[in-house]
Amino acid sequence: MATVTYAQASRHYPGTERPAVDKLDLEIRDGEFLVLVGPSGCGKSTSLRMLAGLEDVDNGAIYINDKDVTNLPPKSRDIAMVFQNYALYPHMTVYENMAFALKLRKTPKSEIDVRVKKAAQMLQLEDYLNRKPKALSGGQRQRVAMGRAIVREPQVFLMDEPLSNLDAKLRVQTRSQIASLQSQLGITTVYVTHDQIEAMTMGHRVAVLLDGVLQQCDTPRALYDTPANVFVAGFIGSPAMNIKTVALTDEGAIFGQMILPLSRDQIAKARAEGGDGKVTVGFRPEECELVSATEGGMPIVVDLVEDLGSGANVYGHAAINGDSERFVVATDRRTMPNLGDTVFVKPRTDHHHAFHATTGVRI
Amino acid sequence: MKHGKYPLLAAFLLPALGLYIYFVISPYAQAFYISGTDWLGLSDTYNWVGFDNFVRLAKDEYLRNALWHNAVLMVLLPVITIVLGLFLASMLNVGGGQGRVRGLPGSGLYKVIFFAPQVLSVAVIGVLWKELYNPRSGLINGGLRALGLDSLTKTWLGDPDVAFWAVLAVMVWANVGFYVVLFGAAMQSIPRDIYEAVALDGANRWTALWRITLPLVWDTVQVAWVYLAILALDGFALVQVMTRGGPNFSTDVVGQRMYDVAFGEFKFGEASAIGVIMFFLTLSVTVIALRLSRREKVEFS
Repeated sequence: MATVTYAQASRHYPGTERPAVDKLDLEIRDGEFLVLVGPSGCGKSTSLRMLAGLEDVDNGAIYINDKDVTNLPPKSRDIAMVFQNYALYPHMTVYENMAFALKLRKTPKSEIDVRVKKAAQMLQLEDYLNRKPKALSGGQRQRVAMGRAIVREPQVFLMDEPLSNLDAKLRVQTRSQIASLQSQLGITTVYVTHDQIEAMTMGHRVAVLLDGVLQQCDTPRALYDTPANVFVAGFIGSPAMNIKTVALTDEGAIFGQMILPLSRDQIAKARAEGGDGKVTVGFRPEECELVSATEGGMPIVVDLVEDLGSGANVYGHAAINGDSERFVVATDRRTMPNLGDTVFVKPRTDHHHAFHATTGVRI
Repeated sequence: MKHGKYPLLAAFLLPALGLYIYFVISPYAQAFYISGTDWLGLSDTYNWVGFDNFVRLAKDEYLRNALWHNAVLMVLLPVITIVLGLFLASMLNVGGGQGRVRGLPGSGLYKVIFFAPQVLSVAVIGVLWKELYNPRSGLINGGLRALGLDSLTKTWLGDPDVAFWAVLAVMVWANVGFYVVLFGAAMQSIPRDIYEAVALDGANRWTALWRITLPLVWDTVQVAWVYLAILALDGFALVQVMTRGGPNFSTDVVGQRMYDVAFGEFKFGEASAIGVIMFFLTLSVTVIALRLSRREKVEFS
C-alpha cells in the first residue's frame, strides 16, 4: 500500500542535449494502476527506472509514501519489477526464481513455500515449478516474472513493457489477466508501454510523455475526449485522429468547402499569441460519417480500404487550400466504398477538437 | 557432388594431415620408442631395454619430488588464479555500484594493466622477475628496505623454503590477466537486466557475485580450470629461466627434470620415459577434468 510522487524529477544523461526526463511531476495514488505511455525515446522507461533506483535522479525527488527515496539503493525501496525480457535467473527453477528475493530477506522456509505456491496458483504455474526458464514458453516466462514480483508483496509494482515479447493473441489475454490481478492485489502499479491500446485498456490513469516531458495525465476516457494538446490527440486513438492546420474565419476552421464551427472563445484563443490566422483542428476517424454529396461533407478520394471484419477504415486524400491532405475515416462495412471512389466526409457535430496552431495547446 | 567427392575432400585434408603426422604424431611415436631404450642421445647405438627406464623412474626420488611440485601447482595455480580472476573481473565489469551495472571507475585502464603480462613471452617474464627478486638489487627487497621492513627481505629465489612460492606467484601474475578478460567477457554476456532484477530482489554485491554471476559464468570457469591444470603440469619454461629447478630441487618440475636428465645426464631413453609419463598424466587430467565438470548448460532467454 503506497503512494508514489515524482517531484520535478529529472534525468539528464551526460553528453546529451536535452534531459531524458524533464521535471516530471506525477502523483500516483495508493492502489492505482498508472500507465506511462509514449513513443520510443520519450523517457517513459527512464522514469520507471528512476523510481526503481536503477537510474540516477539528477534533479528533483521521488517519494514513496512521503518518504524520500531519491538516493536509496533499489533494494531499500521495497519495489518489484517485471522486465521486458523477464530477466529470469536462467540457472534457477521457477520455484527458486520466485523464492529468491524472499530467501535473501531471510523469510522462513515454510512461509516462502506458502507464498510461492499461492502465486503459482494465481498464475497457473503450479505444474512448472521445477522447470528452468529455458523449458518454458514465452507466456509462461512472462507469468514467472509476474510471480516473482507478486511473492514479494512489495509496496509498488513496476512493469516495463512486459507484454512486448508475446504474440498478439497472448498479449490481449495477458493484458486482462494483469489488470485483474492488479485489482485483486490492490498494489500500486506503474506500467510502461508504447502501445496506446494497452495504456487505454489497463490504466486507471494514463500519463502521456513526449521528449521527456509529461504531456497529460488523466483517465483513458478524458485523454480520448479532451486531449490536452496536438500530440496527445494524435497519439491516443487508433487509427489516429485526423489533424490539420487550416485557415481560421469568424465562424470556424475552413476545410475546403466545409466549415467546422468553433466557439467565440476558441476563436479568440486561436488568434492569440501568433496564431497567424490559422487553427489546428482534429476529428477522430470514428467520429465522422460518410454522407451524400448534398449534405455538405468534404470530398475525399479513396486510396485504401482496410476491411477489419467488424468495420472498415477508409484512407483517402482531399485537396485543401491547394495541398493534398490525407484523411482516415472509420466506417460501417455496409457503406464501405471502393478504391478510387469519391466519398463525402462530415465530422459529427461538436466532436472535433481545436488546438492553437503554433503552441499545439487545446483551446 | 556425389561422385568424386572423396578425392576432393582428400585433396584438402591430406596436406594438413601429412604435416600433423610428420610433426606431431611421429615425435610422439619416436618418444614412446626411445623410452624403451638406453639411448644416450649422442651415440648412434642403443639397446632395447623394455620397461627398465620406467621401473627405475618409479623409485626415483628426484622425479617424485618434481611430480609433487606439479601436483601442488595443479591445485594452487587454478584455485588462486580463478579466485583472483573472478574477483577482479567482477570488480571491473559488474561491481561498480548498487543496481547500476558497470565496473569500478577506471576499469578500462585496469583491464590493460592486468592483461599486459599476457603479451610478454615467458622468457621475458622469467628474466624480469628474476631481477625483481634479486636479493641485493631487486625492486622487491629494495622496496621493503625503503619502507623500513628489512626483516621481511629474503633471498627469494635462493631460499628453498621461499623459492617455490616465489615461482608460483609469478605464474599467477603471468596468467591472471588472461582470465580476467575471459571471465569479463562471460560476465558481459549476462543480460544487464538480470543484475537489475538481483538488485531489486535485495542482493548485495557479494550475494550477486556468489548466487548469480558465478553460476552463470561456471562454464567459463571450468574451461579455465582445465587450461590452468594443464599449464600447471608444465611450468618448465618459467622454472628453467628463473631457477632451473633449484635451490636444492625446491622448484623442480617434471619438465625441468626431463630436461636435466636429457641434456644434463644425457640419458635420452630415461628422459623420453619421463616425457611418456607426462603425456599420460596430462591426458588423464584433461579427461578427468572434463568429465567432472560436465554440467547442464545455462541458457539466457
